[in-house]
Amino acid sequence: MKLAGLKSVENAHDESVWAATWVPATDTRGALLLTGSLDETVKLWRSDELVPERTNTGHCLGVASVAAHPSGLIAASASLDSFVRVFDVDTNATIATLEAPPSEVWQLRFNPQGSTLAVAGGGSASIKLWDTATWDLVATLPIPRPEGPKPSDKSGSKKFVLSVAWSPDGKRLACGSMDGTISIFDVARGKFLHHLEGHFMPVRSLVYSPIEPRLLFSASDDTRVHMYDAEGKSLVGVMSGHASWVLSVDVSPDGAAIATGSSDTTVRLWDLSMRAAVQTMSNHTDLVWGVAFRPPGASGVRAGRLASVSDDKSISLYDYS
Amino acid sequence: MACLYIPVQNSEEEVRVALDQLPRDAADILDILKAEQAPLDLWLIIAREYFKQGKVEQFRQILEEGSGPEIDEYYSDVRYERIAILNALGAYYSYLGKIETKQREKEEHFILATQYYNKASRIDMHEPSTWVGKGQLLLAKGDVEQASAAFKIVLDGDRDNVPALLGQACVEFNRGRYSESLELYKRALQVHPDCPAAVRLGIGLCRYKLGQFDKARQAFERVLQLDPENVEALVALAIMDLHTNEAAGIRKGMQKMQRAFEIYPYFAMALNYLANHFFFTGQHFLVEQLTETALAVTNHGPTKSHSYYNLARSYHSKGDYEKAGLYYMASAKEINSPYEFIFPYYGLGQVQLKFRDFKSAQSNFEKVLEVYPDNCETLKALGHIYVQLGQTEKGQEFMRKATKIDPRDSQAFLELGELLISSDSGAALDAFKTARGLLKKGGQEVPIELLNNIGVLHFERGEFEFAEQTFKEGLGDGIWLAFIEGRENFQEIAASESILQYKDVQFFQQLQDSGRQVKLPWNKVTTLFNLARLQEQLHNPETASILYRLILFKYPDYVDAYLRLAAIAKARNNVQLSIELVHDALKVNDKCPNALSMLGELELKNDDWVKAKETFRAASDATDGKDSYATLSLGNWNYFAAIRNEKRNPKLEATHLEKAKELYTRVLLQHPANLYAANGAGVVLAEKGHFDVSKDIFAQVQEAASGNIFVQMPDVWINLAHVYFAQGNFALAVKMYQNCLRKFYYNTDSQILLYLARTHYEAEQWQDCKKTLLRAIHLAPSNYTLRFDAGVTMQKFSASTLQKEKKTADEVRSTIAELENAVRLFSHLSAASNLHFHGFDEKKIDTHVEYCKNVLDAAKPHLEAAMREEQQIRQRQEVARQVALAEEARRKAEEQRKFQLERRKQEDELKRVRLQEEHFQRIKEQWKSSTPASKRRERSEIDDEEGGNGEKRRRKGGKRRKKDKSSKSRYETEEVEAEMMDDQEDPEDEDANLNYRDLASQNDQDDAEENAHDPLAAAGLEDSDAEDEAVPSTNTGRRKQAWSESDDDEPLERQPFSRENSPELQESDEEVREDGHKPNGNAAAEDED
Repeated sequence: MKLAGLKSVENAHDESVWAATWVPATDTRGALLLTGSLDETVKLWRSDELVPERTNTGHCLGVASVAAHPSGLIAASASLDSFVRVFDVDTNATIATLEAPPSEVWQLRFNPQGSTLAVAGGGSASIKLWDTATWDLVATLPIPRPEGPKPSDKSGSKKFVLSVAWSPDGKRLACGSMDGTISIFDVARGKFLHHLEGHFMPVRSLVYSPIEPRLLFSASDDTRVHMYDAEGKSLVGVMSGHASWVLSVDVSPDGAAIATGSSDTTVRLWDLSMRAAVQTMSNHTDLVWGVAFRPPGASGVRAGRLASVSDDKSISLYDYS
Repeated sequence: MACLYIPVQNSEEEVRVALDQLPRDAADILDILKAEQAPLDLWLIIAREYFKQGKVEQFRQILEEGSGPEIDEYYSDVRYERIAILNALGAYYSYLGKIETKQREKEEHFILATQYYNKASRIDMHEPSTWVGKGQLLLAKGDVEQASAAFKIVLDGDRDNVPALLGQACVEFNRGRYSESLELYKRALQVHPDCPAAVRLGIGLCRYKLGQFDKARQAFERVLQLDPENVEALVALAIMDLHTNEAAGIRKGMQKMQRAFEIYPYFAMALNYLANHFFFTGQHFLVEQLTETALAVTNHGPTKSHSYYNLARSYHSKGDYEKAGLYYMASAKEINSPYEFIFPYYGLGQVQLKFRDFKSAQSNFEKVLEVYPDNCETLKALGHIYVQLGQTEKGQEFMRKATKIDPRDSQAFLELGELLISSDSGAALDAFKTARGLLKKGGQEVPIELLNNIGVLHFERGEFEFAEQTFKEGLGDGIWLAFIEGRENFQEIAASESILQYKDVQFFQQLQDSGRQVKLPWNKVTTLFNLARLQEQLHNPETASILYRLILFKYPDYVDAYLRLAAIAKARNNVQLSIELVHDALKVNDKCPNALSMLGELELKNDDWVKAKETFRAASDATDGKDSYATLSLGNWNYFAAIRNEKRNPKLEATHLEKAKELYTRVLLQHPANLYAANGAGVVLAEKGHFDVSKDIFAQVQEAASGNIFVQMPDVWINLAHVYFAQGNFALAVKMYQNCLRKFYYNTDSQILLYLARTHYEAEQWQDCKKTLLRAIHLAPSNYTLRFDAGVTMQKFSASTLQKEKKTADEVRSTIAELENAVRLFSHLSAASNLHFHGFDEKKIDTHVEYCKNVLDAAKPHLEAAMREEQQIRQRQEVARQVALAEEARRKAEEQRKFQLERRKQEDELKRVRLQEEHFQRIKEQWKSSTPASKRRERSEIDDEEGGNGEKRRRKGGKRRKKDKSSKSRYETEEVEAEMMDDQEDPEDEDANLNYRDLASQNDQDDAEENAHDPLAAAGLEDSDAEDEAVPSTNTGRRKQAWSESDDDEPLERQPFSRENSPELQESDEEVREDGHKPNGNAAAEDED
């Protein structure tokens, strides 16, 4: 289990790169890397050479999140001005522009079935679900406020929702908030199930294991990655080692490893059987905002790939084996 | 059977007296002697016989009778016998005086003896035996010189006079001239080969003193052959045996000593030696009994000194330092110069060291050093004392000398290292390493304290790997290894319980129940703690936490472990658990200043302003105000209080500031090198506008803070940046903020980004400002004030762009886009503020929205104008191009022909173009002036704003600056407190508010001026401002929150780093030092013989 640097693109964007995801391969082309940046653009890159495929403009105030539909045909990007732009990957035609004021927009995720786009709703303390056929807002899943004497000030902003993740079967949705709690929802019934406690600082990234459907990984500003049994409400493991916030986490397609990106400028690879970091990549010079494993390719591309993007304006590609 | 015959007067008969049957009553014999007028020599013989039989009374009676005036008269011509009787009496009293211990009686005896000898001298002043007697008497009195004179008189008359020879020998011996003494003894022996054993004893002692031990031994043995009960010889032999330093020798020596003791239980030297022996066997009771007896039976100074010393040592080793000190002093008093017997000075020095009477200890150790200039132990002790007296250099000098004298003395290196720790950690590390090397080479086990110190030094120098190795080496094998290497599986726990995970020690119980041994020897606790601390530093807080908990499982009173766990919990923002842990620590010691300080920080974090102040007070009181941290915390508290009351009550502000300054100064007085206090003082100065001074202070603090991993002071960087900012040096300020962000915060601190943005804002670098704010928003998404600020920035940018004389259509277009974004941001905020509590009110946002919309409207004509202009320019260019083309064609046609003409025409053409331009210009002008009334107003307002901006800015400059300052200082304070802390997350909030206030108020003012006609809006604005400052009910909550958060962080962080660390390190040092002491004490004790 190791990572080997393949290619880095310096100044891939004019400004900090804040988001990255892989657009799955289609019949006509291989997988593409989708990145979003403070420079208000979204770029598409062809691997393995990271050849720039196209630059999409149209966002204001910096692109904070990108997501790709499992079909690989459409993708979505969201910026700090709280607009979500859904576009055709190959033509860049705008399919829809979504907004649900006053809710702002943070992380975006299509469900594995491709029928729904989940959007972390920030200060609205909820997740917005959009139907990918009609692009209508179909549901709002609010995080129940803790019954406290003063719901107004502190707790309000602390339930600020930053991150979302779908379980592999699409039945569960997890979201992470500023105060560190993780909330689990039953999507079909639109019902809040329970909280997962353990973090007390913002959870900026969540991901379910593709192999074990109950296993959820969370990355938090408290420098740790937690491993939860999301159904059993138990903390299965704690992985610490980053020197600063963990900004991003992703699971390898084989489910044996996770990669994390941190503000300590490193990318780490963790062996889940050992629950320990097995490799630390320090090629970035600033906060690593995103790490993403390439989904197994339909067109026979079997080699594992990991991409990372950073405030240093660069993107990097690694071979994962 | 020996018989004595007393001749009967006037007859041939004799009275036969059997010497072994002398009558009990001496008077019977005296009657006979007197009656028969027996020759005096018979009197003497009978008296001597009585003496031999131990009948001292009878002896004295006869002699006194025999020296009475009647006898003098009757036997006036019998001179020698009379003298002999007197001399016998003299000798008897000399002896009595010699053995008497009570001073008065002693003197009386000596006086009597002197009288008898004088009487004898009066009979015949040349009688040698009288002189010998006098000499003996003088010797007994300790008057060596006169004794010598007396003996010399005899020897001048008869150089072979044995008693005089012996006396002189004794004199020489006492003078320390052993070879002369030996010669005299030898001569005595030659003259009188059958002389008593004592002569040989003298020879033996001389030889012994001369170092001829074998011959001395022969002499002593010979004495014992002659007189098997000669105690002195026995003791002398015993001492020689003891000095062989071999077990067998010592055993033999002790046997002899015991025999001597059995023969004569009052021989002081034997008693001393026995006491000495029992000291080493630890039978202190015997030591005391023996030495007390010895003291009772002797008056001999050096012997008494030994006895006292033995006694002192016994008490010393029992830990009764006061008594030990007294006896050491008594011992030292008994000797004339330290050269005779140095040990009591050493002991005294040690005891005084123990009582921290360094000056006296120093003088005593220096006496020792005078005698033994190369004694390592003494050098080390002195080194230690000098350090304690603050003369570190000298202390190190001594220590270095000690290591130089014995480069294999690991102990010396160890102590040298300890001395160097505070001043030169590099050299200390070298010394420790040398000590470790020496110990290893010597095959000795390296003490864990030494390894601990090496580890800590590596740790401090940031050499974490070495530190970890060393700590592990010190710890050896144990249960902890399983945790460090992660072999022990993480226990799956319910997520809801994970909150309390750091308190959980059940885990170890389970391990124990499942048959694993959970052991932790007490001497490894400190090292384990340090290792845990290292794991924290290495970003393995989980490992650290488990190690701390292991410590607590075994030693539930280990306060520092609770505090570290609390610090880890706090770093994770788990305030509740952190407080619980601190309370656990306080359960162990409710006066622990560290725990109290930490509790104070946590209370601040929980908004408990008043409680926090009380807690800090308690912490300060618990240490009599000597705990700098508590004092600093109070100072910071006051500083915040000052800032908080800024607008509300200037008087209060001044008081709080003064108080803060006073507190900082107090700390500085106690610890002139306290960076945090200096920083705090700098902040107060900056607050008062003394930027140059504060800048100097900050710069110095910054310099001092670099180079130690435990001193992380981002605050001082920020403060410096603030000062640059306040002085208008924006470029430097930006650089400083950026460096600070990168160096201390991994670029994650949105608060500093806010400062940075503010600097860009002041420098009118709108795009940089906006980008910076966007970054901050991305880092801290729930901080809505950042959005507000971003909105304001875009608004400002647009307004300033529209103000520009020349602007392209693109510029105007992007301006409009910015304005739209701003409107969107503001309206988002406006909507969001219904839901949440962000710290600004809707009305203000609405005002901004209104304003932006107005500007937007105003911008549209600008855009049109710009576009039209562009179009016209384009058209003009087109025309010009066509004209040029036509000209070209014409020129080609008429090239030669109408050169002149053509040129004129060209000029005409140009003129036309110019005219056209002018025309456009005019149109433009018209555009400007012909905008509809409302718009015009708007525009002029804008103009006003723009034009007035600079002025206004300048005008407001003072005010704003003040605000800046305050916000700055706020940061600073936070920083101050934050001193060590890393995450300044909370301060952000507070500052955000402040900053926001600055920006906002500025805006408000602008707006207010612009919208003066709109009283409602103005009122609204005012309101909001007023609220900010004045309405505690609504706003204090928020503000407080902000402050408290910021405050908390700093101190807390600080706590972990500065406070907690130092105790722990100190602790380890102390431990080592203590260890050092003990050996020292023992060594000293052992030294004695």
